[in-house]
Amino acid sequence: MIEERKPSPNVLEDLFWVVIHGRGVWHTGSSTTLARVLAMAGVIAGRESYYYMRYDDSPERVNIPMMFYVVMGNPRVEVLLPEEVEPVGRLFNAVVVMDSVSLLKETSQRATLFDGVKDDAVFVVNTGLTPPQVLALLKKYQLTRDWFGKLVTVSASKYHTNVAFGLIGALLRAWDVVGLEDVLNALEALKIDEGAGEAIASAYKDASVTEVRIHAEESGATGRVGVKTPEFRPGPWNVETYREYQRALSQARSYEDRVKIMPRWEAMAPGLIEFGPPPGGKNIGFKTEFARIEAPVIDKSKCVDCKLCSYFCPDGSIDFESVEVDYEYCKGCGVCARVCPTKAIRMVSELERVEGLNDPELRRLALVTREYGY
Amino acid sequence: MSGERRQFKSVKEVPPEDYYTSGRRTCAGCGPALAYRLVLKAAGVNTVVLGPTGCMYVANAHQFLTSPYAIPWFHTQLGGGGAAGVGTAAAFRALMKKGKRRLEDVNVVVFGGDGGFADIGFAGLSMGMSYDYPRLLYVLYDNESYANTGIQASSTTPWGATTTFTPSGKVRRIGNERMKKNVALIMAAHPGVRYVATATLWPPLDLMNKVSKGLGSGGPSFIHVLVPCPKGWFTPPDLTVELSRLAVETGLWVLWEHENGRFRLTYKPSPRKHVKNYMQLQGRFAHLPASEIDMIEEVTEREWEIWAEMDRTGKLMVP
Amino acid sequence: MKVLTRTDLEAVQIPRKKPITGARAIAEAVKIADVDVIAAYPIRPYTGVMNALAEMIANGEFAAEIIVADSEHSQFEIAKHASAVGARTFVGSSGVGLLYAAEAIAVTAMDQLPVVALAGCRALDDPGNFGMEWNDTLFFRDSGWLVSWAKDPQEALDMTLVAYRVAEDRRVMLPHFIVVDGATITHIAAPVDTPPKEDVTEFLPPYRPHYPLDPAQGPVTKAQHIAPSLIGPEQRKHVDVAMKRSRDVIAEAWRDYADYVRRTYDPFIETFHMDDAEIALVTMGAYTVNALHAVKEVRRDGIKAGVVRLRYFRPFPAWDLEKVLSGVGGIGVLDFSYSFGSPDSAGVVFNEVRAAMYGNPKPALDFLFLGGREPKPADFVKALKVLHKYVRTGDTPEGKRVFWLTLRGEDV
Repeated sequence: MIEERKPSPNVLEDLFWVVIHGRGVWHTGSSTTLARVLAMAGVIAGRESYYYMRYDDSPERVNIPMMFYVVMGNPRVEVLLPEEVEPVGRLFNAVVVMDSVSLLKETSQRATLFDGVKDDAVFVVNTGLTPPQVLALLKKYQLTRDWFGKLVTVSASKYHTNVAFGLIGALLRAWDVVGLEDVLNALEALKIDEGAGEAIASAYKDASVTEVRIHAEESGATGRVGVKTPEFRPGPWNVETYREYQRALSQARSYEDRVKIMPRWEAMAPGLIEFGPPPGGKNIGFKTEFARIEAPVIDKSKCVDCKLCSYFCPDGSIDFESVEVDYEYCKGCGVCARVCPTKAIRMVSELERVEGLNDPELRRLALVTREYGY
Repeated sequence: MSGERRQFKSVKEVPPEDYYTSGRRTCAGCGPALAYRLVLKAAGVNTVVLGPTGCMYVANAHQFLTSPYAIPWFHTQLGGGGAAGVGTAAAFRALMKKGKRRLEDVNVVVFGGDGGFADIGFAGLSMGMSYDYPRLLYVLYDNESYANTGIQASSTTPWGATTTFTPSGKVRRIGNERMKKNVALIMAAHPGVRYVATATLWPPLDLMNKVSKGLGSGGPSFIHVLVPCPKGWFTPPDLTVELSRLAVETGLWVLWEHENGRFRLTYKPSPRKHVKNYMQLQGRFAHLPASEIDMIEEVTEREWEIWAEMDRTGKLMVP
Repeated sequence: MKVLTRTDLEAVQIPRKKPITGARAIAEAVKIADVDVIAAYPIRPYTGVMNALAEMIANGEFAAEIIVADSEHSQFEIAKHASAVGARTFVGSSGVGLLYAAEAIAVTAMDQLPVVALAGCRALDDPGNFGMEWNDTLFFRDSGWLVSWAKDPQEALDMTLVAYRVAEDRRVMLPHFIVVDGATITHIAAPVDTPPKEDVTEFLPPYRPHYPLDPAQGPVTKAQHIAPSLIGPEQRKHVDVAMKRSRDVIAEAWRDYADYVRRTYDPFIETFHMDDAEIALVTMGAYTVNALHAVKEVRRDGIKAGVVRLRYFRPFPAWDLEKVLSGVGGIGVLDFSYSFGSPDSAGVVFNEVRAAMYGNPKPALDFLFLGGREPKPADFVKALKVLHKYVRTGDTPEGKRVFWLTLRGEDV
């Protein structure tokens, strides 16, 4: 039944999904490599295999979360190819997270990294943090339900400048849909240089695998569970109903919730009308903190209140009067720190600012962004 | 109707309200987003904004039916920017003249990209500039490529830049081999035009003050705004404003205005910096050898003689 | 030949009727509708309406912003955006001009803006051709525009007034094409009764959009880019429902129009001699009159023929068509459109008619008049005879179903 968005469960039993969470521009290359090598390995292993960037994320934008999918079938099973997989069921077998700051946030589409993920899924995180630290973050920010899977952490940039290879090695430790040999053959088939093979093999050896058994009740993020979805009400759309709907969106705590809130056609105005915020307001239905790798921190003792940071903020996320950063919208571009005449603004790792944790992989990512194009 | 033309002297005088507000999917460090924000801040609440298809249309794609615009906003087709401005302004004039709407100054700002206003037959821009709608402002936000579709060359992409349509290859080394089109000069050449200017994000207030002048000029106006694009220029996102400054200080981007028939430079870099200060920061020029960059420096130097001459005489010339 | 006297005439001339061209008649309607913004760009044959409007405005007959656009694309963009602000708009084009504006035409319907446009049919290029074909307008049959087809200047005037009423009805909110068969209407003067403005003031109240793009009405965001996983079919369904609702709104509008203007039309389909017809010609537009003459001629030979004229192409009045054709033995479509490579390599209208008759199929032939060459009355008579023979014997010349009647050379 291809017409239905949710394919039948027995078909899904024959499919294996890897979801890659990366950031626009910074992870486009590595995500492509990762997905391509895995798909090639799948082909070598006799599985029909596809990979693709989620089309709604295209074109990717600097810092903005985006997703890649790799899907492969059991031998002689044809792969379903939906343009977008609605993460409403339990579909994904493995999740690759390209940076640890993603563990703190929703993504642009996903409420949590567990949206659509199977209970026994493998999580692979590119980080220098320890497995307990990563687990703690997942529990605090992401987990809203049982997870009896595996966590693999790897500091992928230690093995290759392209973090894809370290992550592939780590993934293979806990996910056996393709084997190490298939992957090494895939590198050869794709004419990818030898350093890659060594990187994969070393990461495979070094990666730390943790068996996880967490019940929903133990999760700190359970605050996300059970937020009431506003009821559908047909009728003319106007500014008031729209604002109510926007507030509901900003409180939704899963993709499923958000989709449920989307109005039926009867409730929409003809000609695709929406309503912007009132003057002085912001687009409360779409917060953009997920884009931030580094965060500006203002040292008020050095601030001369020149307002340049507020003036030059591309996202309007520094308040003009108070010169405070609105961390719900700041994308961490760093323009403010650049234009500050007294160097009162410092860019710090978002993970460090929020959790006091120092992740060398994030430091490296920040460096990549600052040296882009040189 | 009278035209207000408020000129800001200090950043502290700038109104705090945004009309292009936080909460959209633009890149971190997006130059066009900053220009959009500043232009609408200067235009104020009594403004209708029209957005031809382009990066700033798709990057603002709603997520779950939300909108960042605190003033009326309407999409128009890639080739429809000029006409959309005329249609909107004409409607306000007709309704007000016929007593169907109260008399009031309503600004119409059309925000077209370089694809929308420099290519595609100027998208009716030339027609727009030939009418006398007083508070109609066309803003060309020029990030020098079709960024939304993945950085393809437009007619404002500078010579030597790599784009996905003009990659630097083994045989065709240079990348884009066409010179950047000077759209503002073309617009200034329209008869009876009141206000045409160029701007970028730096110096502060320059863009906002030009918007204010344009809207208050009593005729249709046009501002060509250079906006750095981290993704398309291969630059770190924190350099967006810095690149605007360097574009001006190296003289590669000339700030001028043409008001009621008189040309004037609004910023004279002195001494002018070598263009390499600007170009070497950008990955899209990374394949150019120093000799090519020196050649661009020479061309820029020669062009500046003409710019200086135009400034002295107040007359339009073509550098 | 007998010279008819006044008392022999079927219709009594109303003194306020005077001969004006179709272009002028439509311009009169635009003036009566007090249109606010007009966008003009020249292309024959529709241009006359803009000439007339420009003259009226120049002489102060009514007030509107008339924009001399730089292309048809700009024209339709101007109308669309003026409509979004809350202005009543008028625009139009012909032939390749319509195709140049195709993008703007398509989005106007999706934006649900009640722009009214004149389409003066003209054969498409290449080569340049002043003749009349329907293909230019039928290009937009799937676009969400309401499409009505006038048969003479009088009806063109009436249809224009009704078009504003229907398009702006809040149950509909769709743009509306008034289609005329090119120069046969735009350039031929026929007696037209122009109703006084006061007569239609109540019939056609001022345009009040739901959500005008006006700062006085708050921050309306219109036609933002969407993620189709979230909004996609929902928006299309709006257009679909508007089109479906228009059926009742159109019927209601023509009923009301008759009350105000004292001229009655069947809203969707006009029939002639269909009471006892065994075969029927189905067509649209100006040549219906010639078809009627052909029917009168063959009836002298005992062939019971009738004519069915579609007044609307969108919404396509399949319900009425099926009813009026239920008793006939065969249908011949007088078709000025063509769809290369379509089922039976036939015309667009022919295939629409067949689709409408799917539940009650009838033997059907398509008579094509292509390339802009005007049909002669004898062509229609021939069509009727071919159809009559086909219904009686099941035979057609060379077994064909589709005939290029004005073609020189072998019709292969």
